[in-house]
Amino acid sequence: MSIAVAAEYSTGELMATVMARQLRPGEVAIMGAVSALPQAACRLAQLTTAPGLWFIAGGSGAVNPHLEPLVASSCDERLLDADAVMTLPDVILVEGRGDLIDVFFAGGLQIDARGNCNLGPVGPWRHPTLRGPGGVGLPFVARAGRVVIYSMSHDRRTFVERVDFVSGPGFPVRPGGLPGGGPSLIVTPLCTMDFDPGTQLARLATLHPGVTLDQVLEATGFAPTIPTKLETTPAPTPEELTILRRLDPAGLLRGGAGR
Amino acid sequence: MLLSAGAAIDKLVPEGTGLLAVGGMHMHNNPMELVRELTRRRRRVRRLLTSPSASLAADLLIGAGLVDEIATAYIGFEHLGLAPAYRRAAESGAINVLELCEAAIVHGLYAGAGGLPFIALPAGLELSDVSSANAEHFRTITDPFTGDRVLVAASLRPDVALIHALAADERGNVFFAGAHFTDRLMAMAAKTVIVQVERMAEAGEISAQPAESVLPGFLVTAVVVAPRGCLPTASHGAYGYDEPALRAYLKLARTEEGFAEYLQVNAMAVAEVTA
Repeated sequence: MSIAVAAEYSTGELMATVMARQLRPGEVAIMGAVSALPQAACRLAQLTTAPGLWFIAGGSGAVNPHLEPLVASSCDERLLDADAVMTLPDVILVEGRGDLIDVFFAGGLQIDARGNCNLGPVGPWRHPTLRGPGGVGLPFVARAGRVVIYSMSHDRRTFVERVDFVSGPGFPVRPGGLPGGGPSLIVTPLCTMDFDPGTQLARLATLHPGVTLDQVLEATGFAPTIPTKLETTPAPTPEELTILRRLDPAGLLRGGAGR
Repeated sequence: MLLSAGAAIDKLVPEGTGLLAVGGMHMHNNPMELVRELTRRRRRVRRLLTSPSASLAADLLIGAGLVDEIATAYIGFEHLGLAPAYRRAAESGAINVLELCEAAIVHGLYAGAGGLPFIALPAGLELSDVSSANAEHFRTITDPFTGDRVLVAASLRPDVALIHALAADERGNVFFAGAHFTDRLMAMAAKTVIVQVERMAEAGEISAQPAESVLPGFLVTAVVVAPRGCLPTASHGAYGYDEPALRAYLKLARTEEGFAEYLQVNAMAVAEVTA
Protein backbone atom coordinates (compact mmCIF):
# COMPACT_ATOMS: atom_id res chain seq x y z
CA MET A 1 0.00 0.00 0.00
CA SER A 2 1.41 3.36 -0.87
CA ILE A 3 0.88 6.26 1.49
CA ALA A 4 0.33 9.70 0.06
CA VAL A 5 3.20 12.05 0.73
CA ALA A 6 3.01 15.82 0.79
CA ALA A 7 4.94 17.40 -2.04
CA GLU A 8 6.69 20.18 -0.18
CA TYR A 9 7.34 20.55 3.50
CA SER A 10 9.92 22.22 5.74
CA THR A 11 12.40 20.46 8.04
CA GLY A 12 10.46 21.82 11.01
CA GLU A 13 7.25 20.33 9.67
CA LEU A 14 8.92 16.97 9.12
CA MET A 15 10.32 17.03 12.67
CA ALA A 16 6.93 17.96 14.14
CA THR A 17 5.38 15.04 12.28
CA VAL A 18 8.03 12.60 13.56
CA MET A 19 7.55 13.85 17.13
CA ALA A 20 3.75 13.65 16.85
CA ARG A 21 3.99 9.99 15.87
CA GLN A 22 5.81 9.27 19.15
CA LEU A 23 2.74 10.13 21.19
CA ARG A 24 -0.06 7.78 22.19
CA PRO A 25 -3.71 8.36 23.09
CA GLY A 26 -4.24 9.45 26.69
CA GLU A 27 -0.57 10.12 27.49
CA VAL A 28 0.64 13.25 29.29
CA ALA A 29 3.47 15.22 27.65
CA ILE A 30 5.40 18.26 28.87
CA MET A 31 7.79 20.75 27.28
CA GLY A 32 9.82 23.82 28.24
CA ALA A 33 11.06 26.98 26.54
CA VAL A 34 11.23 27.61 22.77
CA SER A 35 8.60 24.98 22.33
CA ALA A 36 6.67 25.77 19.15
CA LEU A 37 7.91 22.49 17.66
CA PRO A 38 6.76 20.07 20.41
CA GLN A 39 3.56 22.07 20.84
CA ALA A 40 2.83 21.65 17.14
CA ALA A 41 3.64 17.94 17.48
CA CYS A 42 1.24 17.51 20.40
CA ARG A 43 -1.56 19.40 18.69
CA LEU A 44 -1.04 17.37 15.50
CA ALA A 45 -1.04 14.13 17.49
CA GLN A 46 -4.29 15.09 19.22
CA LEU A 47 -5.90 15.58 15.83
CA THR A 48 -4.51 12.41 14.23
CA THR A 49 -2.95 9.42 15.98
CA ALA A 50 -3.19 10.32 19.68
CA PRO A 51 -6.68 11.57 20.52
CA GLY A 52 -7.05 12.31 24.20
CA LEU A 53 -3.36 13.23 24.55
CA TRP A 54 -2.69 15.78 27.31
CA PHE A 55 0.14 18.28 27.08
CA ILE A 56 1.42 20.94 29.46
CA ALA A 57 2.83 23.95 27.62
CA GLY A 58 5.89 24.87 29.64
CA GLY A 59 5.95 27.80 32.00
CA SER A 60 2.48 29.00 31.06
CA GLY A 61 0.91 26.06 32.90
CA ALA A 62 -1.60 25.72 30.06
CA VAL A 63 -2.99 22.22 29.59
CA ASN A 64 -3.95 21.48 25.98
CA PRO A 65 -3.71 25.03 24.64
CA HIS A 66 -5.89 25.44 21.57
CA LEU A 67 -3.01 27.08 19.76
CA GLU A 68 -4.35 28.42 16.54
CA PRO A 69 -2.05 30.00 15.61
CA LEU A 70 1.05 28.64 17.34
CA VAL A 71 2.99 31.16 19.44
CA ALA A 72 6.75 31.40 19.87
CA SER A 73 7.05 32.02 23.63
CA SER A 74 6.26 29.23 26.10
CA CYS A 75 4.70 31.73 28.53
CA ASP A 76 2.55 33.66 26.06
CA GLU A 77 -0.80 34.63 27.57
CA ARG A 78 -2.57 33.35 24.45
CA LEU A 79 -1.63 29.80 25.49
CA LEU A 80 -4.08 30.16 28.38
CA ASP A 81 -6.90 29.68 25.90
CA ALA A 82 -6.70 26.01 26.85
CA ASP A 83 -8.69 23.08 28.19
CA ALA A 84 -7.33 23.84 31.70
CA VAL A 85 -4.60 25.91 33.34
CA MET A 86 -2.29 24.94 36.21
CA THR A 87 -0.17 27.33 38.25
CA LEU A 88 3.55 27.01 37.55
CA PRO A 89 4.37 25.76 41.09
CA ASP A 90 1.73 23.06 40.60
CA VAL A 91 3.31 22.00 37.29
CA ILE A 92 6.70 21.74 38.99
CA LEU A 93 5.18 19.69 41.82
CA VAL A 94 3.65 17.08 39.54
CA GLU A 95 6.80 16.88 37.39
CA GLY A 96 8.38 15.42 40.51
CA ARG A 97 5.72 12.83 41.22
CA GLY A 98 7.21 10.37 38.80
CA ASP A 99 4.07 8.61 37.63
CA LEU A 100 2.26 11.39 35.76
CA ILE A 101 4.48 12.59 32.93
CA ASP A 102 4.77 10.05 30.11
CA VAL A 103 6.79 12.10 27.63
CA PHE A 104 9.27 14.90 28.35
CA PHE A 105 10.45 16.93 25.34
CA ALA A 106 14.05 18.00 25.97
CA GLY A 107 16.82 19.80 24.11
CA GLY A 108 20.31 21.11 24.56
CA LEU A 109 23.17 23.23 23.28
CA GLN A 110 25.05 19.95 23.62
CA ILE A 111 23.59 16.44 23.31
CA ASP A 112 25.70 13.31 23.66
CA ALA A 113 25.59 9.64 22.71
CA ARG A 114 24.00 8.67 26.04
CA GLY A 115 21.24 11.24 25.64
CA ASN A 116 22.62 13.69 28.20
CA CYS A 117 21.52 17.27 27.43
CA ASN A 118 23.37 20.45 28.37
CA LEU A 119 21.70 23.86 28.42
CA GLY A 120 24.17 25.29 30.95
CA PRO A 121 27.89 26.02 30.67
CA VAL A 122 29.80 24.83 27.60
CA GLY A 123 33.47 24.39 28.50
CA PRO A 124 34.73 24.62 32.10
CA TRP A 125 31.86 25.20 34.57
CA ARG A 126 33.37 28.26 36.24
CA HIS A 127 34.77 29.87 33.10
CA PRO A 128 32.60 28.64 30.25
CA THR A 129 33.43 29.38 26.64
CA LEU A 130 29.68 29.63 26.04
CA ARG A 131 27.37 30.38 28.93
CA GLY A 132 24.11 28.66 27.96
CA PRO A 133 20.85 29.94 29.42
CA GLY A 134 20.40 27.13 31.96
CA GLY A 135 18.52 23.86 32.18
CA VAL A 136 15.31 25.05 33.93
CA GLY A 137 13.40 21.78 34.48
CA LEU A 138 15.67 19.42 32.56
CA PRO A 139 16.81 17.51 35.70
CA PHE A 140 13.18 16.32 35.86
CA VAL A 141 13.69 14.11 32.78
CA ALA A 142 14.79 11.51 35.36
CA ARG A 143 11.17 11.46 36.60
CA ALA A 144 9.47 11.13 33.21
CA GLY A 145 8.35 7.98 31.41
CA ARG A 146 10.47 8.65 28.33
CA VAL A 147 12.41 11.54 26.89
CA VAL A 148 12.18 12.79 23.32
CA ILE A 149 15.18 15.00 22.52
CA TYR A 150 14.95 17.50 19.67
CA SER A 151 17.39 19.96 18.21
CA MET A 152 17.12 22.40 15.31
CA SER A 153 20.91 22.16 14.84
CA HIS A 154 22.74 19.03 13.79
CA ASP A 155 26.47 19.72 13.88
CA ARG A 156 29.56 18.68 15.83
CA ARG A 157 29.20 21.50 18.34
CA THR A 158 25.74 20.21 19.29
CA PHE A 159 26.21 16.44 19.03
CA VAL A 160 29.27 15.73 21.16
CA GLU A 161 30.94 12.67 22.63
CA ARG A 162 30.28 13.88 26.17
CA VAL A 163 28.40 17.00 27.32
CA ASP A 164 30.41 19.45 29.45
CA PHE A 165 27.58 19.77 31.97
CA VAL A 166 24.62 17.47 32.52
CA SER A 167 21.42 19.53 32.72
CA GLY A 168 19.15 16.64 31.74
CA PRO A 169 20.56 13.19 32.52
CA GLY A 170 20.59 10.44 29.89
CA PHE A 171 21.74 6.84 30.29
CA PRO A 172 22.66 5.00 32.38
CA VAL A 173 19.36 5.39 34.18
CA ARG A 174 20.12 4.17 37.65
CA PRO A 175 18.38 1.05 38.82
CA GLY A 176 16.51 1.02 42.10
CA GLY A 177 13.09 2.51 41.75
CA LEU A 178 13.68 5.55 39.59
CA PRO A 179 10.58 6.11 37.52
CA GLY A 180 12.31 7.47 34.43
CA GLY A 181 12.80 5.20 31.43
CA GLY A 182 15.42 7.49 29.91
CA PRO A 183 15.85 8.94 26.43
CA SER A 184 13.87 7.21 23.71
CA LEU A 185 14.44 9.25 20.55
CA ILE A 186 16.54 12.12 19.18
CA VAL A 187 15.00 14.15 16.35
CA THR A 188 17.26 16.46 14.31
CA PRO A 189 17.06 18.26 10.96
CA LEU A 190 18.95 15.32 9.38
CA CYS A 191 17.78 12.13 11.05
CA THR A 192 16.27 10.33 14.00
CA MET A 193 18.24 8.25 16.49
CA ASP A 194 16.98 5.83 19.08
CA PHE A 195 18.99 4.04 21.77
CA ASP A 196 20.41 0.54 21.63
CA PRO A 197 18.81 -1.23 24.61
CA GLY A 198 22.01 -3.22 25.21
CA THR A 199 24.66 -0.50 25.09
CA GLN A 200 22.28 2.40 25.90
CA LEU A 201 24.06 4.41 23.21
CA ALA A 202 22.51 6.45 20.40
CA ARG A 203 21.75 4.43 17.30
CA LEU A 204 20.73 5.86 13.93
CA ALA A 205 17.10 5.03 13.28
CA THR A 206 16.04 6.89 10.13
CA LEU A 207 17.56 9.34 7.67
CA HIS A 208 15.33 12.19 6.53
CA PRO A 209 14.46 12.11 2.82
CA GLY A 210 17.45 13.22 0.73
CA VAL A 211 19.96 12.97 3.60
CA THR A 212 22.92 10.57 3.27
CA LEU A 213 24.59 8.50 5.98
CA ASP A 214 27.90 10.29 5.34
CA GLN A 215 26.22 13.64 5.85
CA VAL A 216 24.96 12.56 9.28
CA LEU A 217 28.28 11.02 10.37
CA GLU A 218 30.12 14.15 9.22
CA ALA A 219 27.84 16.34 11.34
CA THR A 220 27.89 14.18 14.47
CA GLY A 221 30.63 14.43 17.10
CA PHE A 222 30.13 10.86 18.30
CA ALA A 223 29.92 7.63 16.35
CA PRO A 224 26.29 6.47 16.49
CA THR A 225 25.56 2.78 16.18
CA ILE A 226 24.52 2.05 12.59
CA PRO A 227 21.85 -0.61 12.12
CA THR A 228 22.08 -3.05 9.23
CA LYS A 229 18.98 -1.61 7.65
CA LEU A 230 18.54 2.16 7.69
CA GLU A 231 15.05 3.39 6.83
CA THR A 232 14.00 6.76 5.45
CA THR A 233 11.97 8.96 7.78
CA PRO A 234 8.37 8.87 6.54
CA ALA A 235 7.45 12.29 5.12
CA PRO A 236 4.37 14.17 6.35
CA THR A 237 1.14 13.08 4.70
CA PRO A 238 -1.00 15.73 2.99
CA GLU A 239 -3.43 15.49 5.94
CA GLU A 240 -0.66 16.07 8.50
CA LEU A 241 0.71 18.99 6.53
CA THR A 242 -2.73 20.57 6.13
CA ILE A 243 -3.21 20.47 9.90
CA LEU A 244 0.27 21.89 10.60
CA ARG A 245 -0.27 24.74 8.12
CA ARG A 246 -3.59 25.58 9.73
CA LEU A 247 -1.96 25.66 13.19
CA ASP A 248 0.98 27.67 11.97
CA PRO A 249 -0.01 30.35 9.47
CA ALA A 250 2.93 32.54 10.61
CA GLY A 251 5.37 29.81 9.60
CA LEU A 252 7.21 29.21 12.90
CA LEU A 253 7.92 25.70 11.61
CA ARG A 254 9.05 27.09 8.28
CA GLY A 255 11.67 29.42 9.70
CA GLY A 256 9.28 32.35 10.02
CA ALA A 257 9.89 35.09 12.56
CA GLY A 258 6.25 35.55 13.52
CA ARG A 259 5.08 35.25 17.08
CA MET B 1 1.86 51.87 51.09
CA LEU B 2 1.53 53.49 47.68
CA LEU B 3 4.87 54.77 46.41
CA SER B 4 6.53 55.95 43.22
CA ALA B 5 9.02 53.48 41.77
CA GLY B 6 11.94 55.64 42.80
CA ALA B 7 10.68 56.13 46.34
CA ALA B 8 10.04 52.38 46.73
CA ILE B 9 13.62 51.56 45.75
CA ASP B 10 15.00 54.37 47.94
CA LYS B 11 13.07 53.29 51.01
CA LEU B 12 12.96 49.50 50.69
CA VAL B 13 15.95 48.22 48.70
CA PRO B 14 19.14 48.98 50.62
CA GLU B 15 22.53 49.12 48.93
CA GLY B 16 24.09 45.64 49.08
CA THR B 17 20.79 43.77 49.54
CA GLY B 18 21.66 40.15 50.37
CA LEU B 19 19.03 38.33 48.35
CA LEU B 20 16.84 40.16 45.86
CA ALA B 21 14.18 38.16 44.00
CA VAL B 22 12.81 39.47 40.71
CA GLY B 23 9.64 37.95 39.29
CA GLY B 24 8.09 37.36 35.90
CA MET B 25 8.86 34.46 33.57
CA HIS B 26 10.70 34.65 30.25
CA MET B 27 9.70 37.93 28.55
CA HIS B 28 6.47 38.17 30.53
CA ASN B 29 5.60 40.21 33.63
CA ASN B 30 9.14 41.45 34.31
CA PRO B 31 8.75 44.39 36.74
CA MET B 32 10.84 46.59 34.46
CA GLU B 33 9.92 49.96 35.96
CA LEU B 34 11.33 48.83 39.33
CA VAL B 35 14.36 47.28 37.65
CA ARG B 36 15.11 50.47 35.74
CA GLU B 37 14.94 52.42 39.00
CA LEU B 38 17.51 50.00 40.46
CA THR B 39 19.85 50.67 37.55
CA ARG B 40 19.30 54.44 37.75
CA ARG B 41 20.14 54.39 41.45
CA ARG B 42 22.97 51.89 40.92
CA ARG B 43 21.78 49.68 43.77
CA ARG B 44 24.18 46.75 44.17
CA VAL B 45 22.74 43.33 44.99
CA ARG B 46 24.83 40.60 46.59
CA ARG B 47 22.70 37.76 45.19
CA LEU B 48 19.94 38.06 42.60
CA LEU B 49 17.38 35.25 42.54
CA THR B 50 15.24 34.82 39.43
CA SER B 51 12.11 32.83 38.66
CA PRO B 52 12.89 29.49 36.95
CA SER B 53 13.23 31.37 33.62
CA ALA B 54 14.43 34.95 33.62
CA SER B 55 14.93 37.36 30.77
CA LEU B 56 15.42 41.12 30.39
CA ALA B 57 15.17 42.10 34.09
CA ALA B 58 18.07 39.86 35.10
CA ASP B 59 20.15 40.61 32.00
CA LEU B 60 19.83 44.35 32.55
CA LEU B 61 20.85 44.21 36.24
CA ILE B 62 23.79 41.93 35.43
CA GLY B 63 24.92 44.07 32.51
CA ALA B 64 24.75 47.19 34.69
CA GLY B 65 27.31 45.51 36.97
CA LEU B 66 24.95 45.52 39.95
CA VAL B 67 24.92 41.78 40.74
CA ASP B 68 27.70 39.91 42.58
CA GLU B 69 26.07 36.49 42.25
CA ILE B 70 23.16 35.23 40.17
CA ALA B 71 20.98 32.34 41.35
CA THR B 72 18.97 31.12 38.38
CA ALA B 73 17.87 28.17 36.28
CA TYR B 74 17.65 30.07 32.97
CA ILE B 75 18.35 33.52 31.62
CA GLY B 76 17.57 33.95 27.95
CA PHE B 77 15.12 35.22 25.38
CA GLU B 78 13.67 31.94 24.05
CA HIS B 79 13.41 32.09 20.24
CA LEU B 80 14.99 35.57 20.17
CA GLY B 81 18.38 34.42 21.46
CA LEU B 82 20.72 34.07 24.43
CA ALA B 83 21.10 36.73 27.14
CA PRO B 84 24.02 38.92 26.02
CA ALA B 85 24.97 40.59 29.31
CA TYR B 86 24.66 37.36 31.32
CA ARG B 87 26.84 35.58 28.76
CA ARG B 88 29.52 38.27 28.90
CA ALA B 89 29.56 38.40 32.71
CA ALA B 90 29.59 34.62 33.20
CA GLU B 91 32.14 33.90 30.47
CA SER B 92 34.55 36.56 31.78
CA GLY B 93 34.09 35.48 35.41
CA ALA B 94 32.75 38.92 36.38
CA ILE B 95 29.77 37.29 38.08
CA ASN B 96 29.42 34.22 40.25
CA VAL B 97 26.76 31.81 38.96
CA LEU B 98 24.76 29.69 41.40
CA GLU B 99 23.18 27.34 38.87
CA LEU B 100 19.89 25.99 40.19
CA CYS B 101 17.06 23.99 38.66
CA GLU B 102 13.39 24.94 38.73
CA ALA B 103 12.75 22.47 41.58
CA ALA B 104 15.44 24.04 43.77
CA ILE B 105 14.00 27.51 43.11
CA VAL B 106 10.30 26.77 43.43
CA HIS B 107 10.49 24.23 46.26
CA GLY B 108 13.15 26.42 47.92
CA LEU B 109 10.76 29.39 47.86
CA TYR B 110 8.00 27.15 49.19
CA ALA B 111 10.30 26.24 52.06
CA GLY B 112 11.09 29.91 52.62
CA ALA B 113 7.41 30.83 52.63
CA GLY B 114 6.49 28.08 55.07
CA GLY B 115 9.40 28.32 57.46
CA LEU B 116 10.76 24.92 56.39
CA PRO B 117 14.50 24.82 57.15
CA PHE B 118 15.33 23.09 53.84
CA ILE B 119 13.53 20.95 51.31
CA ALA B 120 13.99 17.37 50.15
CA LEU B 121 13.98 16.87 46.37
CA PRO B 122 12.66 13.91 44.36
CA ALA B 123 15.07 11.05 43.65
CA GLY B 124 16.70 11.38 40.25
CA LEU B 125 17.42 15.12 40.48
CA GLU B 126 20.89 14.23 41.81
CA LEU B 127 21.70 12.76 38.37
CA SER B 128 22.12 16.21 36.81
CA ASP B 129 25.30 18.23 37.50
CA VAL B 130 23.28 21.08 39.06
CA SER B 131 23.70 19.83 42.63
CA SER B 132 27.31 18.67 42.30
CA ALA B 133 28.42 21.91 40.63
CA ASN B 134 26.70 24.08 43.23
CA ALA B 135 27.41 22.14 46.38
CA GLU B 136 26.94 25.12 48.71
CA HIS B 137 23.21 25.03 47.98
CA PHE B 138 22.65 21.26 48.19
CA ARG B 139 23.34 18.43 50.64
CA THR B 140 22.76 14.69 50.55
CA ILE B 141 21.28 13.35 53.78
CA THR B 142 19.69 10.16 55.02
CA ASP B 143 15.92 10.01 54.86
CA PRO B 144 14.98 9.34 58.50
CA PHE B 145 11.94 7.30 57.41
CA THR B 146 13.40 5.01 54.73
CA GLY B 147 17.15 5.23 55.28
CA ASP B 148 17.60 6.17 51.58
CA ARG B 149 20.04 8.86 50.49
CA VAL B 150 18.14 12.02 49.58
CA LEU B 151 19.13 15.31 47.96
CA VAL B 152 18.04 18.41 49.87
CA ALA B 153 18.19 22.08 48.86
CA ALA B 154 18.43 25.23 50.98
CA SER B 155 15.27 27.21 51.60
CA LEU B 156 15.05 30.59 49.89
CA ARG B 157 14.00 33.63 51.87
CA PRO B 158 14.54 36.78 49.77
CA ASP B 159 15.19 40.01 51.63
CA VAL B 160 13.24 41.83 48.95
CA ALA B 161 11.01 40.63 46.10
CA LEU B 162 10.09 42.79 43.10
CA ILE B 163 7.07 41.44 41.26
CA HIS B 164 4.38 42.58 38.86
CA ALA B 165 0.61 42.16 39.08
CA LEU B 166 -2.29 43.65 37.15
CA ALA B 167 -3.96 45.75 39.85
CA ALA B 168 -3.98 46.63 43.56
CA ASP B 169 -6.22 48.40 46.04
CA GLU B 170 -5.20 51.01 48.61
CA ARG B 171 -4.66 48.34 51.30
CA GLY B 172 -2.10 46.54 49.14
CA ASN B 173 -4.29 43.60 48.09
CA VAL B 174 -3.23 42.71 44.56
CA PHE B 175 -4.45 40.41 41.81
CA PHE B 176 -2.78 38.77 38.89
CA ALA B 177 -4.24 38.33 35.40
CA GLY B 178 -3.23 35.47 33.12
CA ALA B 179 -0.40 33.37 34.50
CA HIS B 180 1.26 34.52 37.72
CA PHE B 181 4.18 32.08 37.38
CA THR B 182 6.15 31.92 40.65
CA ASP B 183 5.44 35.52 41.68
CA ARG B 184 2.91 34.74 44.41
CA LEU B 185 5.28 32.22 45.95
CA MET B 186 8.17 34.71 45.77
CA ALA B 187 6.06 37.29 47.58
CA MET B 188 5.05 34.81 50.28
CA ALA B 189 8.71 33.89 50.89
CA ALA B 190 10.17 37.42 50.91
CA LYS B 191 10.54 39.75 53.89
CA THR B 192 9.85 42.89 51.86
CA VAL B 193 7.60 42.86 48.78
CA ILE B 194 7.25 45.62 46.20
CA VAL B 195 4.49 45.02 43.66
CA GLN B 196 4.43 46.97 40.43
CA VAL B 197 0.89 47.18 38.98
CA GLU B 198 -0.70 48.51 35.80
CA ARG B 199 -3.47 50.31 37.64
CA MET B 200 -5.47 50.64 40.84
CA ALA B 201 -8.27 48.11 41.25
CA GLU B 202 -11.90 49.08 41.05
CA ALA B 203 -14.16 48.64 44.08
CA GLY B 204 -15.02 44.96 44.58
CA GLU B 205 -12.72 43.88 41.74
CA ILE B 206 -10.24 41.97 43.93
CA SER B 207 -12.78 40.15 46.10
CA ALA B 208 -14.36 38.88 42.85
CA GLN B 209 -11.10 37.14 41.81
CA PRO B 210 -10.38 33.46 42.40
CA ALA B 211 -8.41 32.95 45.62
CA GLU B 212 -5.27 31.67 43.90
CA SER B 213 -5.01 34.86 41.79
CA VAL B 214 -4.88 37.16 44.81
CA LEU B 215 -2.12 38.22 47.18
CA PRO B 216 -3.50 39.78 50.38
CA GLY B 217 -2.13 43.14 51.46
CA PHE B 218 -0.42 41.93 54.63
CA LEU B 219 2.11 40.20 52.35
CA VAL B 220 2.75 43.39 50.36
CA THR B 221 5.06 46.15 51.60
CA ALA B 222 4.54 48.67 48.82
CA VAL B 223 2.54 49.10 45.63
CA VAL B 224 3.91 51.06 42.68
CA VAL B 225 1.51 52.06 39.92
CA ALA B 226 3.40 51.92 36.62
CA PRO B 227 1.14 51.79 33.56
CA ARG B 228 2.89 49.86 30.74
CA GLY B 229 5.76 49.44 33.19
CA CYS B 230 6.65 45.89 32.08
CA LEU B 231 7.56 46.94 28.54
CA PRO B 232 9.29 45.74 26.51
CA THR B 233 8.23 42.52 28.29
CA ALA B 234 4.57 41.51 28.35
CA SER B 235 2.05 42.24 31.09
CA HIS B 236 -0.54 39.47 31.22
CA GLY B 237 -4.03 40.94 31.07
CA ALA B 238 -2.73 44.18 29.57
CA TYR B 239 -0.33 43.84 26.62
CA GLY B 240 2.05 41.48 24.83
CA TYR B 241 5.82 41.76 24.64
CA ASP B 242 7.36 44.24 22.22
CA GLU B 243 9.39 41.95 20.00
CA PRO B 244 11.09 44.69 17.91
CA ALA B 245 12.19 46.44 21.13
CA LEU B 246 13.55 43.18 22.58
CA ARG B 247 15.40 42.47 19.33
CA ALA B 248 16.82 46.00 19.41
CA TYR B 249 18.08 45.37 22.97
CA LEU B 250 19.66 42.06 21.98
CA LYS B 251 21.41 43.70 19.05
CA LEU B 252 22.75 46.64 21.06
CA ALA B 253 23.74 44.60 24.11
CA ARG B 254 26.08 42.42 22.05
CA THR B 255 28.85 44.85 23.02
CA GLU B 256 29.52 46.55 26.33
CA GLU B 257 29.33 49.95 24.63
CA GLY B 258 25.98 49.10 23.07
CA PHE B 259 24.68 47.90 26.40
CA ALA B 260 25.77 51.16 28.08
CA GLU B 261 23.99 53.10 25.35
CA TYR B 262 20.79 51.09 25.88
CA LEU B 263 20.93 51.70 29.61
CA GLN B 264 21.52 55.42 29.15
CA VAL B 265 18.64 55.88 26.71
CA ASN B 266 16.30 53.81 28.87
CA ALA B 267 17.06 55.54 32.13
CA MET B 268 16.53 58.90 30.47
CA ALA B 269 13.24 57.82 28.93
CA VAL B 270 12.04 56.64 32.36
CA ALA B 271 13.12 59.93 33.94
CA GLU B 272 10.96 61.87 31.47
CA VAL B 273 7.91 59.74 32.22
CA THR B 274 8.23 60.04 35.99
CA ALA B 275 9.06 63.77 35.94
